[in-house]
Amino acid sequence: MSRAATPKLGAYAGLAALGLLAALATRLPELVALAAPFALVAAIGLFRARRPEIGVEVTLERERTLESEETEVQVTLQAEVGAERVEVLLELPRELGVAEGANPRTLHLRDGERRELSFRIRCNRWGGFQVGRIHLRTHDALGLLRHEAVADRRLPLKVYPNEESVRELLRPHDTQVFSGHHVARQKGDGIEFADLRPFVPGDRIRRVNWRASARRGELWVNEHHTERNADVVIFLDSFAEARRGERSTLDPALRAAASLTSRYLRQKDRVGFVTFGGMLNWLLPSTGAGQLYRIVDAILDTEIVLTYAWRDIAAVPRRTLPPQALVLALSPLLDDRAADALLDLRGRGFDLVVIEISPLSFVPQPRGELQELGLQLWRLRRDAVRGRFERAAVPVAVWGDESSLAAALEEVSAYRRHARLARA
Amino acid sequence: MVAYSVAAHDRRPELVAGIGGAGWALTAAALAGRWPSVLPWGLVGVGAAYAVFLSLRERTVDPRAPLVAAAFFAAAELAFWSIERVEGRRDLAVLLRRLVLLGGSSLGVALLGALLLVLTSGVSGGVELEAIGVLAAVVTVAIVTGLAARARRSTST
Repeated sequence: MSRAATPKLGAYAGLAALGLLAALATRLPELVALAAPFALVAAIGLFRARRPEIGVEVTLERERTLESEETEVQVTLQAEVGAERVEVLLELPRELGVAEGANPRTLHLRDGERRELSFRIRCNRWGGFQVGRIHLRTHDALGLLRHEAVADRRLPLKVYPNEESVRELLRPHDTQVFSGHHVARQKGDGIEFADLRPFVPGDRIRRVNWRASARRGELWVNEHHTERNADVVIFLDSFAEARRGERSTLDPALRAAASLTSRYLRQKDRVGFVTFGGMLNWLLPSTGAGQLYRIVDAILDTEIVLTYAWRDIAAVPRRTLPPQALVLALSPLLDDRAADALLDLRGRGFDLVVIEISPLSFVPQPRGELQELGLQLWRLRRDAVRGRFERAAVPVAVWGDESSLAAALEEVSAYRRHARLARA
Repeated sequence: MVAYSVAAHDRRPELVAGIGGAGWALTAAALAGRWPSVLPWGLVGVGAAYAVFLSLRERTVDPRAPLVAAAFFAAAELAFWSIERVEGRRDLAVLLRRLVLLGGSSLGVALLGALLLVLTSGVSGGVELEAIGVLAAVVTVAIVTGLAARARRSTST
């Protein structure tokens, strides 16, 4: 622990010296009585000075939690050499706050005493954090000396984003070979009726359609559509974000990504993840609970990094973007590079859907004619970007404060239904 | 302390009041602005007012000097305490310990002051003053002995 003298020590020494000098000069014994206590306190304080030895251990109630939930941090102090006053501060990132109790705390620690302090913290925002850096400051009984130390006992704490409610997921156009929940075009074992065909040796008797067979005078069997899984890739635009105070467009995008990942994995689809922006990050499509944790951990690492250099979407390995995958893009459409990359994907034949995270609620109210004009031009530019997607037959649904993710997905579903009808 | 210095004697009260008032104002400013480097000068001003008061009065020992010293010491302690930067809530047990220590220290200062006056003045101020002086001497010896014993224990462990 580092030691420092408080201003009081110097002040008391000075007062004692001045008082005793004045007593000598004026030959007033009362001034001795006035000054001597300060000298005595300073001398006693220095004589009794001890360097505290305090061990610190930190434990977390749990390593993973959700946004807006509370968790506990337990700090254990073991004093080999105690102190009259010990101030304990738990350093917290700004996304975490103290829910109950004070931080810092002041206590008295005797030699050999063990104390446990509990800090209840609230996780205000998602992210990956290191919690457990403890600042200690001790004071002696006379307040003349101060000792300080920092104990780094940081432990990882992952705060996952809350899920957005989703009623119905988007159905991919194409399916894969493994069983799942999507009705495939292929015929085989399934529930949905597909077609009738003549009986061939080897067909099961229970598949015989007796009514059709009676009409035709020979055996006919039912064919069904198989149920297969699909590949879904969640594409996150991390080039730019709109921010106002603590809120930004990245927050709903990440919540949506976490919700969609969880729902698609639950119905046995393979889900992949791509963060495209200043930081390029990807995860190959896979299934299972492990993939959910991998994707959510990748989501926690996402941050907006301003950059003028960027890599083409071709830098992402081919296996990350399977050819028949549904690519679900979450983007505020603030940066043309993201829009160009998505249109490039569409040009390569990917089944692409764009959920636009509307930045309008993050834009301050325009003041004056010039700002009004600027806002209108910006809106027109955004409409032009949306127009590029529409011309490429890419559905774009706007998700803002007034609507929910479920409503945006329903809008896209309706567009895709009508598109199919138009082709037929 | 300034008020006592002004009221206790009628010679040049305006001088004593002026010096004491300046010291008091400086102390108040240091407390308001939380300036620990300015606070000692305010206390020096207040102490100087008492010194001026003593030098202007007749050459007799001020019998209230031990009380004045105790009050001055308590004021200095409270002043430095109030300008400490404390973030978060103060623990009640720690607060009580500090108050008890402050009270005990002030009492000790008064006893020490009486002892010192008896030793330095060389004039018997009456049986009461002699008794206070003896008691102060006994208490001082006991405190020093206790501290020395504790220091020996802590260095040996």
